[in-house]
Amino acid sequence: MNLEVVTANRLKDGRTVYLGESGWSENLEEARLAGSAAAAQALLALAERSVERNEVVGPYLIEVIEEGGHLVPARRRERIRAEGPTVAAGSGRQSREIV
Amino acid sequence: MPLIKGGEVVEDPWRLLADDEAAPAEGPIAVTLERWQQEQNALLSRAAPLGLRLKAGQHPQAVAEEVARFALIALEFPKFTDGRAYSYARLLRERYGYKGELRAVGQVLRDQLLFMHRCGFDAFEIARADAAEAWRKALGEIGVFYQPMGVGAAAVSERRRELAIGGGNLRGNLGRRRA
Amino acid sequence: MYRYDQFDQRLVDERVAQFRDQVRRRIAGELSDEEFKPLRLMNGVYLQLHSYMLRVAIPYGVLSALQLRKLAHLARTYDRGYGHFTTRQNIQFHWVRLEETPDILAELAEVEMHAIQTSGNSLRNTTADQYAGVAADEIADPRVYAEIIRQWATLHPEFSFLPRKFKIAVTGGARDRAAVKTHDIGLFIRRNAAGELGFEVVVGGGQGRTPFLAKTLRKFLPEADLLSYIEAILRVYNEFGRRDNIYKARIKILVHELGIEKFAELVEAEWAATRAGALRLPEAELARIRAHFASPPYEEIAPPGASLEAERRADPAFARWLRHNTAAHVKPGYAIANISLKATGAVPGDISAGQMEALADLAERLSFGEIRVTHEQNLTLPYVKASELYTLWQALGTLGLATPNIGLASDIIACPGLDFCSLANARSIPIAQRIAERLKDVERQEAIGELRIKISGCINACGHHHVGHIGLLGVDKQGEEFYQMTLGGHAEEDASLGTIIGPAFSSADVVDAVERVVETYLGLRAPGERFIDAYRRVGAQPFKDKLYAAH
Repeated sequence: MNLEVVTANRLKDGRTVYLGESGWSENLEEARLAGSAAAAQALLALAERSVERNEVVGPYLIEVIEEGGHLVPARRRERIRAEGPTVAAGSGRQSREIV
Repeated sequence: MPLIKGGEVVEDPWRLLADDEAAPAEGPIAVTLERWQQEQNALLSRAAPLGLRLKAGQHPQAVAEEVARFALIALEFPKFTDGRAYSYARLLRERYGYKGELRAVGQVLRDQLLFMHRCGFDAFEIARADAAEAWRKALGEIGVFYQPMGVGAAAVSERRRELAIGGGNLRGNLGRRRA
Repeated sequence: MYRYDQFDQRLVDERVAQFRDQVRRRIAGELSDEEFKPLRLMNGVYLQLHSYMLRVAIPYGVLSALQLRKLAHLARTYDRGYGHFTTRQNIQFHWVRLEETPDILAELAEVEMHAIQTSGNSLRNTTADQYAGVAADEIADPRVYAEIIRQWATLHPEFSFLPRKFKIAVTGGARDRAAVKTHDIGLFIRRNAAGELGFEVVVGGGQGRTPFLAKTLRKFLPEADLLSYIEAILRVYNEFGRRDNIYKARIKILVHELGIEKFAELVEAEWAATRAGALRLPEAELARIRAHFASPPYEEIAPPGASLEAERRADPAFARWLRHNTAAHVKPGYAIANISLKATGAVPGDISAGQMEALADLAERLSFGEIRVTHEQNLTLPYVKASELYTLWQALGTLGLATPNIGLASDIIACPGLDFCSLANARSIPIAQRIAERLKDVERQEAIGELRIKISGCINACGHHHVGHIGLLGVDKQGEEFYQMTLGGHAEEDASLGTIIGPAFSSADVVDAVERVVETYLGLRAPGERFIDAYRRVGAQPFKDKLYAAH
């Protein structure tokens, strides 16, 4: 059985968020899990109401799997959304830190 | 649907005639391009004003020689992202010399009113209750344009000189466009 | 460089106020997302994987020190302390908040900058070659025309809802340093037999899903007719460009489907009506714009004499940097200095706020306050005295910006890719970094010579992979990142599109594959023969054989 959660981007700042028990969270661990198609659709419907309230944009379902006791997204794209870019910003180790 | 013209919501005296509907003897009616092309003489023999409604993709050069026959030309925006009618409007005004009412219909949204007006539209069917207020705000937003448009448009360089001579601090003074 | 007058300033100020209200209305729910999206795109605001991204326009790649300092400030204040230069000479901030974008735009307007039309189905930033005004082989300064086009294109009421985006590039002469043949409209500055200035106009270039090189639409267009002719092209495109399928909506498809002759007929017919109108450029206007791009107050210097030569001899590392990162200048005693944003391990095109501020100081001291962005994600200081190159190089070294690799194998173009971009299928930055690491040995890179590797994370080709000598296109194969290799692309006046070489390589294998291509080339080249020339001579087969030899 696939586990799914709802993800979206927050309208005001664009950050990746997941639909949790008490609203949207940036932490995937706090996301509400759907274990059936019906549950997934119900979560999506909740998310759509949040869209109407101009809280988030573009909600959709993603599959999550358990890995080492944690929930992680199944797809690479979603892992990157959850964990951030896989590269460190900026101009590499040859530069000294110019703050 | 509210019709904005001259900065106000006005009554719309025009009736859009379906292609298979008989043309009444009186009253202003607008027809499709197909109807116009098939029944020109009959339509022109009416003593009442005649209008034309073009769909997106119907280039107004089809009526370039005859624009003076129409008191109304309506151009459709099937989706607000379909920008063909902006070109049609300019051509009607600047190349074919059309002087009647040029109306934007279809998905006409507040944030496109300014550009539409600039291209030569002077009437707008816009589906909002506060149409006049939306119009006033939209038209006031940008007071300078790089592109000379409209019949006898002044070159941008003239406008620059005007502003330079006028001087003063223009930041924050958005001015009011003549609607 | 161009300086705003009250007219220009008023336009950007009003635009900021307009967008501020649009953002307010969106957040308040007065605008739906569908209605708001084109509006925010026309102010350069994208929604990406993690955040909003703001793409700031850098018209034809030219920045003043003041503007660069402002970008540094914006990076610190509204982003995560860095910015990213793109293949269209713009800069992107990857971590902005929608609600703060009006403030960012207001600050940009203070230094005569904006983010107008850096996205959306509109006329985008007109790019020019980064050696504009200082290259000896230039016929005329392309920035003049890029600025004229910029103004005409900005907030254009007729052309703000095109079938798709529209990109124009100008190059100053026969050499194409701006990849104009990959643009929707490309302009080569030319002189006719009578010595008058004008343009060869090419049309219908573009990368992405169906790449095309631009075709000649008009061999010679007189200078004064520049805008009226471009308007004619745009009007034909606005009318006939497809609106039913976004993958077939660029002008390149229209030109391809109609054929260049038929397309030219349509344009010339439209132009016949517009040519004598209000868009004809009077000499006074040309002169006004030209005056903004007059030469800086150069000193009269005897050609670089003993000092530079002595410095070069004394320091092999400096000599190497001179060799690869500097170019001849039209003014004796001066040089063009290129700054590599491709240090080993760097994110190609990224720059920190601290580096931006330090470069602004250097530009002020050493380059008449001006710095340029190239379409290859590097920077250029256009007016450096030869006698000050050594000082510059040392300063760049302390900033991590002295990598002597311009045009070499580790000078890789890479789009942000799946690490940042919601359109991507695969990551590109880590691949660029791994390739650069593999090939980092400077002597090896010198032995290889000019090699342009370009990587895109999806079919939209923002990494320009179609015109890479080695191009890599990231694809998703059942959840895994694979890279399709093309060879033989080239982005200059003798442009070519790369050929797909065979099945895609896995992320694990692709760096070995690139190295194998390099080794193959080294094994078959004639003495001094560049990669691209060797490839054009021998074709793809020797490379295919080595890459896909049965194990």
